[in-house]
Amino acid sequence: MIKIKWFRGQWLHITFAKIALYTVMLCLVAFTALPLIYLVSTAFKPMDELFVYPPAFFVKHPTTVNFSDLVVSLGSSTVPFLRYAFNSIVVTLTIVFLTVVVSALGAYSLVKFKPPGGVFLFNLILMALMFSPHVTRIPSYLVVNSLGLINTYGALILPNIAVAYNIFLMKQFVEQYPDELLEAARIDGAGEFRIFMQMVMPALKPAWATLVVMSFVSNWNDYFSPLIYVTSQAMKTLPLALQTISGGAAAVSVGRAGATAAATFCMTVPTVVIFTAMQGQVMETMVYSGIKE
Amino acid sequence: MAEKVKKPKPEKAPKPVKAPKPAGKGGFKLDLQTKDQLKGLVFVSPFIIGVLLFFVYPVTLSLRLSFGDITSVVGMKIRLIGLQNYIRAFLVDVNFVPTFLQMIQQTAVKYPLTIVLSLIIAMLINQDIACRGLFRVIFFIPFLLGVGEVMQQLLNQGVDRAVLNVTDGTLIPYNVISYFGTTIMDAVQTILGILVTVLWGSGVQILLFLSGLQSISPALYEAARIDGATEWEIFWKVTVPMISPMLLLNLIYTLVDSFTNITNPMLSYIQDNGFKNGEFEFGAAMGWIYFAFVGLVVALVFAIMKGYMHTNEVEGVKKHARKHRIITIESKPKRSF
Repeated sequence: MIKIKWFRGQWLHITFAKIALYTVMLCLVAFTALPLIYLVSTAFKPMDELFVYPPAFFVKHPTTVNFSDLVVSLGSSTVPFLRYAFNSIVVTLTIVFLTVVVSALGAYSLVKFKPPGGVFLFNLILMALMFSPHVTRIPSYLVVNSLGLINTYGALILPNIAVAYNIFLMKQFVEQYPDELLEAARIDGAGEFRIFMQMVMPALKPAWATLVVMSFVSNWNDYFSPLIYVTSQAMKTLPLALQTISGGAAAVSVGRAGATAAATFCMTVPTVVIFTAMQGQVMETMVYSGIKE
Repeated sequence: MAEKVKKPKPEKAPKPVKAPKPAGKGGFKLDLQTKDQLKGLVFVSPFIIGVLLFFVYPVTLSLRLSFGDITSVVGMKIRLIGLQNYIRAFLVDVNFVPTFLQMIQQTAVKYPLTIVLSLIIAMLINQDIACRGLFRVIFFIPFLLGVGEVMQQLLNQGVDRAVLNVTDGTLIPYNVISYFGTTIMDAVQTILGILVTVLWGSGVQILLFLSGLQSISPALYEAARIDGATEWEIFWKVTVPMISPMLLLNLIYTLVDSFTNITNPMLSYIQDNGFKNGEFEFGAAMGWIYFAFVGLVVALVFAIMKGYMHTNEVEGVKKHARKHRIITIESKPKRSF
């Protein structure tokens, strides 16, 4: 054990076990963070550094040429990059808002009002949790098609609102909300909707903060809905644009490598921003609820 | 709640006797409980519509599709042809079985690694260390990026191979590499690549384990230490049983996640067949085979774990959890089977 004099006359105790622990932790953190750093540094690499073999880890002469490349090269095509970004933002924000409202309302009434068929509905939700959405892709397409939603924002938004996982997560939190508070509010003459908006929702803030992050991340990165429900380029979202830029999974086109790296970087920024904004809330609830999509 | 609502009923009931006219005019008078239930139904109805439209109907339709043949796309006319699509998947199609096996192989490698690694990391974070919150965030961030197209893109760029390039001589000197030979170095490279992708995919598992670990009462450890148990014994006889609900949840979550992940070769194969070639029925049949397989594996894991779950300890966890307002979720897998 080593003793080091710390400030304010305190002693810092360093044991061998502690050193070992921190070393292991730092190695693991490095493992986890390396691809992230690689992602960021690649986005700022000039053309000659992108193709160095073996690939260099850190960027030596950072430039923003990739980003202007991205905007310019796509600006000259029929659909500008900003259009994809706009689509993504509109679709994702609408889904997040609607899914929070629908799931919170649904979970609240399932738990507190016990409507007929509620138990059945809940079992259905549990089943849907296990069900891979990919099996139902084709019939979902038929549903969207028969509703006449193909090539609209509706096709991208509506199927992703009533997600079983979201209501399940909200339900876990609503169950904790004490009935006594609701009764007190009713006796004081508050309407049902007012109780929900002014009492239940503020109390459930950790729950819907989690939901916002989860739903934002999964929908922002959603690749299948725009691929299937939308055929017009002008309606496609960022994940698809990313694939178009890189020229498909197989072909790594040389000229586009910089633009691809920049686009990948652009796509990850909003999720990180949302997460850092909600981070305090989410981390608490994640640890205490242990639920995730 | 329900009993509480019933109470006002006798007070309400005499009302129609006092004033029968409004009740008669307004049609029928509802008692409070029915009213509550109706309110509930109204609130939950958007969700019900969504589930019916985008889950229940597609599921039943895809089941029918898988047993049939589309005779007319307009109006979705389906002629039932029995098991033909299923037989085709197994006996006629050349790629289905190999892709299936490849998928199983991939999962078999990564599945145990993910569980073990995330448990180890969770236990490390659970130690009394500085910057615990920071570590938590760092391990969770890959989840934000690691789903969907971004991950695919990074893998295409060769992140799993390029990031930790052991053969380029920066991490390990060249003479060491030449001493071991390229075969071994390649193997090391592959292992490191798998490690990176596994670490990237285990953010949620780490958090789940962490929540399990944090709900163990320190008194149990203290008692075990006083009784002279070694750390190894404590791990197997206190920690593992106490987190068995979380372990079960993690096992199932990881399984479902890896089977429904975008990087899964089976899914892209189904996707290609169903959409690009326009063979909806065949795609649906393969989808259902796949779903049946996933369900079977999940059920198997569940059956194995059920015998292992330490119910008494689980009750203890629950009690402790209730005290500290921690939600336990082991009801999720239990109810679904």
